Amino acid sequence: MPAPKDSKGLAESAVAVSPAPHYTRGIASDPLATLMRARQLIHDAQAAIEEASQSVVEQRAASVEIPERELRLAKVENEREELSVRLSEVEHQVGRLMTLYVATYQLHATLDPADVQATIAEIAVNMLGAERFALLLHDEEDKTLEIRLQEGEIAAPWSGKSHYQGGDPLIDACLLDGILRFGPVENSPVLVTVPLRVQDVTVGALVITKLFDHKGKLHEEDRELLDLLGAHAASALFASRVYARAARKLRTLEGLINLVRKG
Amino acid sequence: MNVVKTRKVLVVEDSRLIHKMYEVMLRPCILIAAHDGREGLERLGEHPDVDVIMLDINMPHMTGLEFLGQIRSNPAFARIPVIIVSTEGKEEDVARGLQAGAIAYLKKPFQREDLLKIIGRIDSKEAAL
Repeated sequence: MPAPKDSKGLAESAVAVSPAPHYTRGIASDPLATLMRARQLIHDAQAAIEEASQSVVEQRAASVEIPERELRLAKVENEREELSVRLSEVEHQVGRLMTLYVATYQLHATLDPADVQATIAEIAVNMLGAERFALLLHDEEDKTLEIRLQEGEIAAPWSGKSHYQGGDPLIDACLLDGILRFGPVENSPVLVTVPLRVQDVTVGALVITKLFDHKGKLHEEDRELLDLLGAHAASALFASRVYARAARKLRTLEGLINLVRKG
Repeated sequence: MNVVKTRKVLVVEDSRLIHKMYEVMLRPCILIAAHDGREGLERLGEHPDVDVIMLDINMPHMTGLEFLGQIRSNPAFARIPVIIVSTEGKEEDVARGLQAGAIAYLKKPFQREDLLKIIGRIDSKEAAL
């Protein structure tokens, strides 16, 4: 068909024959594909916007969570510290119980009166930190109070003697009512006097007049050990003396029986 | 937390009470018992692989410091850590003990925590080597 002669027809012809620019050629050649492409681009753009907005939301949420997490971390840290303090307290208690167990065990580990006395002295020195002390015990035969053991020089009239005749207000009161007493009081060099009791009867006392310098003073927890000594030292001594007496009688009887057999 | 690693400990100490304390407090360590310095040297000859020595000072026959002098002059035992545990608590006593070659000085009466802390220090030193 021949091309029209009017300007419009020329223009149309020009359009038809002249090479179109690259972008217009694509659009013109496949508008459907272009539309699809555009739709895809819009879809992609929408997805990107959604992703970005999601990210913004997440970041906002995270910025709210950070203080919350810090709070939780601080709480956990506090709990950890509390547990650590409690663990250390429990370990300390275990240590104290071990000390009490060992003292009790050792007091009752022997039936030899001399060994029991030595154990009392070891407890006084190694567990209480006593540098100067004395062990007073009732003598059942002559009803006096015998000084069975003395460690170090004691600035008292009874120091170095075989018997305690009375005169120290703290010791006398302790022997009278069987109550643990702490010094210092007037006219007494005693730091602490521990009544030794068996079945509610006071049979003697452990008298401490000086602690090692590095020990300084008796602590609250030493009280448990003093109470333990009061109860167990006396019964251990009592049991060992009864056993020793029975053993002595047995030997005497055996000797007599042997004599009778020989005769 | 104080944890005692299993180790072999030579206890040179004349008090039976303290031997019992170590037995209870240092569980599950293997304890080799000696009651004076002389017996300590004998036990050390039988057990040269001990990891640590707990040493008292005032003992019959041979004191702790004499024992320490002997083992420090013997190359076979010179490197064994020695902890002095004593009622002698003056500064000069501590200085004398450390000068003689002890790695630590613990005063009696002691708490279990103090004992384990010192042994823990030996553990960490050994781990660092």
